[in-house]
Amino acid sequence: MIELRGVGKSFGSKRAVDGLDLTVRPGELFAFLGPNGAGKTTTIKMICGLLSPSQGEVLVGGHPAGSEGARRLLGYVPDQPYLYDKLTGREFLRFIVEMYGVGRAAGAARIEEMIDTFEMAEFIDDLCEGYSQGMKQRVVFASALVHEPKVLVVDEPLVGLDPRSARIVKNMFVSQARAGATVLMSIHLLGIAEELADVIGIVDRGKMLAVGTLDELRAESRHGGSLEDLFLKLTDHDVPRAVSSVARARLEPTP
Amino acid sequence: MSLALPEPIAARVEAGPLDGRVARGLRWLRWRQLRNTLGVMVADSRLRASMIAFCSAVFWAGLFLLFLGSFQFIAGYVDLANTIVEYLFSMFFLSLLAMLLFSNGIIVYAALFRSREAAFLLTTPASTDRIFAHKFAEAVGFSSWGFFLLGSPLLVAYGLTIRPDPTAAAGSPAVFYPLFMVFLAVFVLIPSSLGAIVALVVANVFPKREKSVLVLTAAAAAAAAAYVGWRLWRTPGEALTGDWLGGVLNRLAFCQHPLWPSRWMSAGIMASAKGEWKTAAYYLMILSSHAGLAYLVAAVLARDLYRRGYSRVQGGRSSRKRRGFRLMDAAFHRLFFFLPHPIRLLILKDLRTFLRDSTQWSQFLIFFGLLGFYFLNIPRLGYGAQSPYWRNLVSFLNLSVTALILSTFTSRFIFPLLSLEGRNFWALGLLPLRRDHILWGKFAFSAGISLISTEFLVVLSDLMLQMNPWMILLHVGMIAVLCLGLSGISVGLGARLPNLRESDPSKIAAGFGGTFNLLVSLVFIFTVVTALAIPCHLYFVGQENAESARFILSRSGLRFWLTTASLASLALGAAATIIPLRIGIKAFNRMEF
Repeated sequence: MIELRGVGKSFGSKRAVDGLDLTVRPGELFAFLGPNGAGKTTTIKMICGLLSPSQGEVLVGGHPAGSEGARRLLGYVPDQPYLYDKLTGREFLRFIVEMYGVGRAAGAARIEEMIDTFEMAEFIDDLCEGYSQGMKQRVVFASALVHEPKVLVVDEPLVGLDPRSARIVKNMFVSQARAGATVLMSIHLLGIAEELADVIGIVDRGKMLAVGTLDELRAESRHGGSLEDLFLKLTDHDVPRAVSSVARARLEPTP
Repeated sequence: MSLALPEPIAARVEAGPLDGRVARGLRWLRWRQLRNTLGVMVADSRLRASMIAFCSAVFWAGLFLLFLGSFQFIAGYVDLANTIVEYLFSMFFLSLLAMLLFSNGIIVYAALFRSREAAFLLTTPASTDRIFAHKFAEAVGFSSWGFFLLGSPLLVAYGLTIRPDPTAAAGSPAVFYPLFMVFLAVFVLIPSSLGAIVALVVANVFPKREKSVLVLTAAAAAAAAAYVGWRLWRTPGEALTGDWLGGVLNRLAFCQHPLWPSRWMSAGIMASAKGEWKTAAYYLMILSSHAGLAYLVAAVLARDLYRRGYSRVQGGRSSRKRRGFRLMDAAFHRLFFFLPHPIRLLILKDLRTFLRDSTQWSQFLIFFGLLGFYFLNIPRLGYGAQSPYWRNLVSFLNLSVTALILSTFTSRFIFPLLSLEGRNFWALGLLPLRRDHILWGKFAFSAGISLISTEFLVVLSDLMLQMNPWMILLHVGMIAVLCLGLSGISVGLGARLPNLRESDPSKIAAGFGGTFNLLVSLVFIFTVVTALAIPCHLYFVGQENAESARFILSRSGLRFWLTTASLASLALGAAATIIPLRIGIKAFNRMEF
């Protein structure tokens, strides 16, 4: 599981994360919501051990984040995933299997399973440098899942995926959670969070504003509308009408 | 394939020691990347690969012949040949020690703290010292291949010319040749490890100040080099006499300090060339043990500080607001009112990027600053009082050095400009201006900076040498032709041979296109300078001796040949400016992003 206790992170004078407490249990699919610059990616990077918290403690499966024990449990899909240009997709998966110490036969079987699941057979033996964004994204998802992580952390998971691939990925999230893995995803698409998440956390300016199931959030904020309305209410953001003065002049009837 | 939910996962991860698997995985990764890269190169870019191999072979052979001639000269005509070679080796390896420490520090820093691969590897179960070892090996390979390319012809030439004992024929024992490669490999590890230690410390202690540290270090290194150069120039006595040589060696005595690794290297190399195996083994062991110790310290520091440093560097985003350039912009628009407005805006954009990247302008400033310092001190060196022959020779040498430094600037900074623009082309491509205007903008930017800096230096050099106004005018014209030509070559070839995948300008400059650009630039400089220097040189050689003057080049002959050479240089300069730019514009107009 993932556990954050009083976690804070400062970049100079800027407070990116401020006293965050969060627990994501095994078998739970947690959606992390928040406006741009709210501190979601910083929090995720602390969970993955890429950033150290300025205050507090981050634990992954009971291990301090960044320790070998935590990293062995973790599958991570960053917002800007990395692939080796001069490896094929299959070679990249083989490298991951080796790095995580998966047995040779089990690893080979798991790679084939991932190729089949993410429909990558057509391009998996080409060099990654020639892949489209969607192809890259599928290989990255496969690499995060091929070693069967106990904790899956995903930052903006559906960028660049076509509807079919997006459905496969969503199914994978749910199946991972149902099989006992802890899944934390940061996402801007509120509809996806509404559809998939067991628990939703809304963060703004580094602080956790609300955590709970969708119904709990509605009850807590006394709001019966959609998640989008709830999100905007909690983050207290006015939405200016995106109409320029020129367009407004055109829209207004001439006397 | 089905869209149904897959079967539940089962724990199939093997327990047991993982580090061996990680090490094997990283080795396999490197080998596989190398194999695939070579495979793609052979399949798709045979011409490019052959050209790289050919250019490297020509470069190696050229250096070898140069070193061979130099060693033969020293052995045949100079007393104290052994001592001189020892000092030369010590200075050579000491300079390389400093350069490798500097370059490897920068490369390791970028590889460990700025690369996306590092971020990826840090989330895997690989231990931090294992990731460090992987990135360190890559950085050492990247920073030291030039060292092998430079060191191997030097040592082969030395091995062929040395006499193990006065009665024996020239030539080292055969074992020397593979052994010096071992010496080179071990030696490289010392500055590389020290550079890595510096990189780790900088990331942990000055995470927001890496550029300032770089600029200060470069300035300190340049000041040290200038001080040594200054002391050498001030060696008393008539040049190339025995006393003068003794004075020079005395001033270089610091490179013979027994604690310098460069001293162990030169002593070990010289002993092995003479077949003194015990001494050679002694120095090799000293070098190996220090290389091992330096790497061990770097690895231990990486184990304890790498992850912390990474976090500090990533968290060290500057919150400093960038000040505007309103005054500069307004002055620029007024000064260059005759240029089309979009071109002015593009030049201002490049200028602003250039000024905000201190690693770019600081190198430029240091090199040209050193040259300016040297030119200002010409009167103290007494060149102004020398004969017209010497002053002419020195003035052309100064001009050549200025042009050579300019060519490294255009290859390093101007050539990659368009490759870097490729990623932002969605913005530039949609602007209401013709694509060729983008290239003209870059050309104007490059030519402007080059002209301002080099014209000043060349005029300063000629004034200090008390050259006559006609020669000053000739040099001003020459450097203008060189500035325009080098800018045209770099911008044109930058558009013709772009590397749109790479975001690091130094890697773009070090690639095939950048290397080819540098070679073309060097050939251009050599041709223009030689065409104009030879008539002047022959004329002034004649002036030294009135008897021989009429046999060599008379005043009227000088006028004729200088006019011819000037016209030829102008034509060559125009060709070097226009042809690459036309090729570049054609390629750029067809380019798909």
